[in-house]
Order: sequence, then C-alpha cells, then structure tokens
Amino acid sequence: MLAKLLRSKVVVWILIVLPGLWPLWPIFVSHDPSVLADPLKFILHHLGFVACLLLATVLALSPLRVLFPKWSVALALNRHRRLVGVSAFFYAALHFTTHLVYEGGTDVSAIPKILQTAVKKPFQLTGLITLTILFVLAVTSLHVFVRWLGGKKWKMLHRLAYVAAGLAAYHQAAARKIFPMQVVWIFAPLVALELARIVKLRMAARPRPAAPAAAT
Amino acid sequence: MLIRSPKDWELSESAATPEKLYRLTHRREFLKTLGLGVATAAFLPRGLLAATAGFPTKVNPAYRDPALKPTPYEFVTGYNNFYEFGTDKSDPKPNANRGWQTEPWTVEVAGLVGNPAKFDVNDLVKQLGGAEQRVYRHRCVEAWSMVIPWDGFPLAKLVALANPKPEAKFLKLSSFVDKKNAPGQREGNLDYPYVEGLRIDEAANELAFIATGIYGKPIPNQNGAPLRLVTPWKYGFKGAKSLVKIEFVAKQPRNTWNIMAPDEYGFYANVNPNVDHPRWSQASERVIGGEGVFGSRQRTLMFNGYEKQVAGLYRGLDLEKNY
Repeated sequence: MLAKLLRSKVVVWILIVLPGLWPLWPIFVSHDPSVLADPLKFILHHLGFVACLLLATVLALSPLRVLFPKWSVALALNRHRRLVGVSAFFYAALHFTTHLVYEGGTDVSAIPKILQTAVKKPFQLTGLITLTILFVLAVTSLHVFVRWLGGKKWKMLHRLAYVAAGLAAYHQAAARKIFPMQVVWIFAPLVALELARIVKLRMAARPRPAAPAAAT
Repeated sequence: MLIRSPKDWELSESAATPEKLYRLTHRREFLKTLGLGVATAAFLPRGLLAATAGFPTKVNPAYRDPALKPTPYEFVTGYNNFYEFGTDKSDPKPNANRGWQTEPWTVEVAGLVGNPAKFDVNDLVKQLGGAEQRVYRHRCVEAWSMVIPWDGFPLAKLVALANPKPEAKFLKLSSFVDKKNAPGQREGNLDYPYVEGLRIDEAANELAFIATGIYGKPIPNQNGAPLRLVTPWKYGFKGAKSLVKIEFVAKQPRNTWNIMAPDEYGFYANVNPNVDHPRWSQASERVIGGEGVFGSRQRTLMFNGYEKQVAGLYRGLDLEKNY
C-alpha cells in the first residue's frame, strides 16, 4: 500500500512541496511571536533545513535499495531519485535567494557586497559551494548530459553529492552558536546507511569474488 | 544594501512599531501614565504600573530618546536567548514559566567590598531609591536588534552601596543554578552558572543598568527576572540574567561565552560594526518587529549608538583584539 503510494509522482511531489509551505502556519495561523519577530529569518532557516533534509534523503535512497533489495518501499522511492535530488537544489536555491533578501532587501546592487562577505566566512562559503555543487548536479541530471558524459563520468561527477552533504552538515551546524542536534538526526542515519552498505558489499564480495557487482 | 544612514543615534522610521497598549494612546500620554500611575489605572491591566513588586517607575527623560520606537512587548518577551531554558528563541517563554520561582529572590554582593551583604530584591530596589525607566537599544551578537523600555536602577548605585576596596578592578556577575527547573542546565548546553564580567569603570558608567522591569511591568521570567544586567553599548550576551551574585574581584573573570568559543566572543563584547564575528558581518542588523513584507535592516552604530557616553572607557584599547 505504502509502496504503491510512493511510486506515484504526484504523492512525492506533494511530499516535497508541503514542507516548503510550513512557514505559512506560524506566520498566518498561529501568529507565533518568535517567528513574527523576524519572519524572513524563520523562512531562511526553514528552507535551508528542508534542503538538508532532502539532500540526506536522496543520498539515503541507494544504500536503502542495496541493503533491502526486496523492500518495495525502498524500490518505489528509488524511482524518484532525480526528482528528490533536484528539489534539494531547488530548496537550496530558495534558501540562498532568501539570504540575499534577508541581507540586502530588494536592492540588487547590494548583492556583490553580500557575496564578498560570504566568500570570506567559511560558514557562508560552505553554503555557497554546496549550492554550486547541487546546481551542477541538477543541470547534469538531464538525460542529455548523462548521454553526453557517459555513465562512468556522470557517476563520478554525481558522487560530488557526498561532498555537498558534508559541507551542508558543517554549514547547518555553524549556523547556530552551539552545536545543534538537528544536524545529527538529519545526517547520522545517512552515515549509518552508507557504512552498512559498505559492510554488506564487502561481505558479499568476499566469499564469491565473481559475484555480479551490486548496484550502487 | 538597503540601508539608511540615520544620524548619530537616530533610528529610522521603519523601526519597530510600539506595543499594542502603547498604540492605544499617544506616546506622551502613555509615558505620563507610566510616570504618574494611578490616574488611568482603571483601564489598564493590573500590574502594568508595577516595576518590580509594585515599585512605580518614573521615566528618566535623559534616557528616553523620542526617536527610538520600542519593539512590541510580545517580541521583547517572546523572542529570547536564555539558554538555561532552551536554545530556540521560542523556548524561554514557555520553559521559564513552568514553576521556576523568581520571587522571593536574594542577591549577594560579595568580594572586595566594604559592605558585603545579601539583599532581598525588593528591599534592594527600595534602598536604592526605586525604579526608573530608560529606553535603550539592544543589539544581539547574532546581528538583530530591539528597542526596550527597561525599568530598574543604575548599576553605579549598587557599586556605590557595595563600597568597593581599591584592589577591586572587576565585577563578576553570576546567574542562578536550578537544574530542576532549567532544562538547558540539565542538558548542559553551556557551562553553568552563566557568568559575565565588567571592568569596574564600565560598571560605574551612567549607562550600565540593572533591570527589574520591562514596559513598566515586572520583568518576565524569560527576560531574566528578577534582576538582569543591561549594558546597551555591548552585545546582548553581556546582559547576564537572573543574577544571584555580584562579586568584586581583582582579576578579569572569564565570561561564559568566552569560555565556550574564545575566538568568537570576547570579554568586552562592545558593539562594533567594524569588527566582524568570524561567521557573519556585524556591520548591520535586522530590526526585530521590523516593518514591510521582508522586514528591515539598519546600519549598526559604533558602541550601539552610545559612543558619546562610553568611548572614553576604551581610549587606547585595540578594539579589534579586545572584541
């Protein structure tokens, strides 16, 4: 049942769009003063949070399939890897756009100064690099590029997603004055899944070296 | 950047709108109400006229710049950094009001002083001549700001009462420890008790203030009831809350945030738009409760606009090194 639902593109689209609408609740419905104090800051942090969540999710999909090859939910979710990955970029881009408005309002001439500051601060620079990686991966997720690059090169390029995840985790942690546990519960499951995948592949490779290579 | 250049101390028109109540009457009337009390008490909620435990507040016009528009009460008391009660801005309001008792409250004056003593807070306020109201800018190290009408007394009065010995060079101000009622202290998110320090000449500066109220009402728990340090030319984290001990010492004390991250938070913590935080710029600040769809941002002023009063304290000091 769940697997059937998750096979549907519409369902996944809804799951991706809904979290982006969440800020409407504290701003327009519950009137949370801690949000209304600076609504844009709340939106900024929320968009970044969703971007991290989607990035961790898309990276978790392939180890899930390797670890549970017969689990229909894992298989259903793996149909949407590109959509989830591109949406991570989309949220990151919205997050960055919000940052520009948060810092400079609607004044476009403020942007160079904002970028200058960003390049000087490791906290902000890691966010910018993450966004750049996600941009490249989103563009090259088009079939044309897969064909143009060839499977092997394309795969190598898309391993940059792991670099992006590492940078995003740092960026998210550095956004707070003390280490936020949120980072752990977003990225720790991913690390655990990756480790489990490596262990499983090693174990599978050991007794029969000729075994067919598992999908990665 | 979309930044106005306000004159010297002036805040832009886009600054926060006053509290709802504040809007009810003309500002003058409101202030008169706070000052004279009883006259309009009939239609004001109970408690509004009280500072701490019933001390009427008199507005001190010397610290009531009409260009400063106070941030709405709901933001001053609903958007707080008080890590003892959680690390989110929304945490302190609910968590500090789940049975944590701030009355009665005793504060100790100790160390290198002629008159060490323990005071009941209400007795102390009475002894120091009651509360006065001052409207101060408040600039957080996280690059946001408010304007807050504080009630309380100048710290200089307390320093005089303590009668410091000549070898006393610094004040060490310690906050409470109550693991049962403070979830952040149970987690240990910072080193507790929260400690802050001031040089004794900083403490004696006319601006240094101990708040016992906000907007003419007793200071809410989440804002640091019943006694809270206010040093408007310094970043907000200097303002140690819920003080239990003020110690006069010979050596510069380590303050909590400096212990946590010495390269990010110094002892002085003076507001300075020219010295960046390692992770963000301090050149400008978001205005809490700012108007417009996107909110607003304004330029940060040297010493938060109090250069005239405090610059003399730091003559010859390298402010880039002593951040």
